[in-house]
Amino acid sequence: MVASRSLFPPLFVAGFLLLIIVLASLVYGAGPVSVSDAFAAVAGGGTEEARFVVTELRLPRTVLGLLTGLALGLAGALLQSMTRNPLAEPGLLGVSAGSGFAVAVAILFGATTATLTTVVAQLGALAGCALVIAATRVQGLGNDPVRLVLAGATLTGLLLALTSMLMLMDQRAADEIRFWITGSIAGKPLAMLQATLPSIAIGLVLIVLVARPLAAMALGEKAAVGLGHHPGRIRFLITVTVALLVGSATALAGPLIFVGLVVPFIARAFSGPDIRKTLWLCVPIGPAVVLGADVISRLIAAPAELPLGVVTALIGAPVLLAIVRAGRMPSL
Amino acid sequence: MPDTRTALVNLALLLLLVAVVLSSLSMGTVQVSPLDAVTALTGKADPMTDFVVKELRLSRILAGLLSGAALAVAGCLMQTLARNRLATPGIIGIDNAATAFAVASVVGVGLALAPSAMALAGAAAATALAFGLAGANGTRGYRFIVAGIGIGAIAGAVMQVMLSRVAIDAANAAYPWTVGSLNARSEQSVQVLAIGLVAGYLTLLAISRALNTLQFSDAVAIALGTRLKLTRILGLALSVLLTGLAVSVCGPVGLIALLAPEFARTISRPGKVPLTASALAGASFMVIADLLGRTLFSPLEIPVGIITAIVGSPYLLWILLKPSKRSLT
Repeated sequence: MVASRSLFPPLFVAGFLLLIIVLASLVYGAGPVSVSDAFAAVAGGGTEEARFVVTELRLPRTVLGLLTGLALGLAGALLQSMTRNPLAEPGLLGVSAGSGFAVAVAILFGATTATLTTVVAQLGALAGCALVIAATRVQGLGNDPVRLVLAGATLTGLLLALTSMLMLMDQRAADEIRFWITGSIAGKPLAMLQATLPSIAIGLVLIVLVARPLAAMALGEKAAVGLGHHPGRIRFLITVTVALLVGSATALAGPLIFVGLVVPFIARAFSGPDIRKTLWLCVPIGPAVVLGADVISRLIAAPAELPLGVVTALIGAPVLLAIVRAGRMPSL
Repeated sequence: MPDTRTALVNLALLLLLVAVVLSSLSMGTVQVSPLDAVTALTGKADPMTDFVVKELRLSRILAGLLSGAALAVAGCLMQTLARNRLATPGIIGIDNAATAFAVASVVGVGLALAPSAMALAGAAAATALAFGLAGANGTRGYRFIVAGIGIGAIAGAVMQVMLSRVAIDAANAAYPWTVGSLNARSEQSVQVLAIGLVAGYLTLLAISRALNTLQFSDAVAIALGTRLKLTRILGLALSVLLTGLAVSVCGPVGLIALLAPEFARTISRPGKVPLTASALAGASFMVIADLLGRTLFSPLEIPVGIITAIVGSPYLLWILLKPSKRSLT
């Protein structure tokens, strides 16, 4: 019997870290505004230029990063718990790629409004999720994490190739699509935020609803049924939740891989196997990881910026290797 | 004992290759009849046809032939060494790493070595990393492959970093490599590849008996007189060499290294490592993919890497999703 671990110390530490990272995100940047000026602007004073940079450029970007991290971290934790596969990550399994491809097609056909893009991204994510669920139903695949991940990587490769083909066909669309698929939270319109907020809110409510049954399902399907839950219904709800969250995140930041892997991995290290605790910890850790990566992406190549997706890949791939290296695949 | 089935299979693949090359020589934005193409090759055609066939198409097809064959042999070899049909250079991230290094040499980051040398260095680094992380000579399937996915992702990210840090002209020059295209080849890399392919193939023929015993367990292979460690290291070095040189010509067209050996194994006599058949099939596949890319949406040209990804990925998915009792682990 594992002693139950207290949730509050790690939650507190993670929250504190997140605060520091938010501050860093407001203060540091690739632009010529000095750190002390930016501090003054955050405090309410400062020069005209610093105030503009902080409130008009960095603040929206920070909020975008917070939401993206929140959505991806939670989606990763849910998907991993449901498939009982520590490598089940929306980016690796091709859910993000499905969403990104849908957006690319929509752009090709001239979709411009934020709401439309968001809905399309969510539909793409839903299709991706459905494929993943269907794949886990194939005999022998559900309990073979690697085959599932490799299938996801292949699907991602296929969709990327199709996207490149779309980009070759239409030069105008190509520029816009390239802006999406590299993964970045810089310079995204605020309308995007308004378009995705409702679905993220719905996603959070759904998580509150499914957290208890999901924890029961970790005991096995029969135990969950015995406790009065309906596994089929729960799975359906989780699929919808993951699609809503990943779709919103993709609409906001483009397809980011590895975030949904890294965040639950860190959270589980502190929370133990209980999915409810993991989900709570993902709430501060997810935004902290994405925002932290974004700050790095601004500083590492200053005065230029790296795409956020590059930084998350550089952070996430070693974590993937660490999980694989850890002797036996950890089971969920 | 003469092996009629192997001979027949190889003959059929050779005929296929000749047909593919002939149609690739004659098709394109300027249509040439196959007969004219042959006359042009022997040097007796009118100057226009001569120019199109010899100057424009022949060198491109040669590059395709060589790189396809090299990738296929490398894939076949690695599958045999790791005893895993999915362990091909593309899947374990070797061609991504080789591409990243080759791009580095083009955009002028780090050492200014020739692309071939840099691609080789990248391939070697990735292989060492994948096998090192996987342990047990790569024969334990799952770690090997997930390690490769991670390595591929890192290499891809590094490549993007480099492309985003250089002038747009240099980035555009390196772009074809990142998706896989026969447009970006330099004559020098093709020559190096040709030498490497011939040398590698001859060495492999010399150790083919040892390679054939690798399908048994280690104990059996040793009992049959195979020097296991030597064979493994030599085989791995050769597959790294072939992958690196091929990538320096055509970029990461990794699925060729999976599809061609799969195809060759299906039609060849079981129990042997079908190196020649893989090479012939790989060369044909590459030229067909390039031909499709050139003609499908002409005048638009689709890079060969995109064609192989669109055609090959569904097949790989089918292998992965097909219900089977045999797990990879």
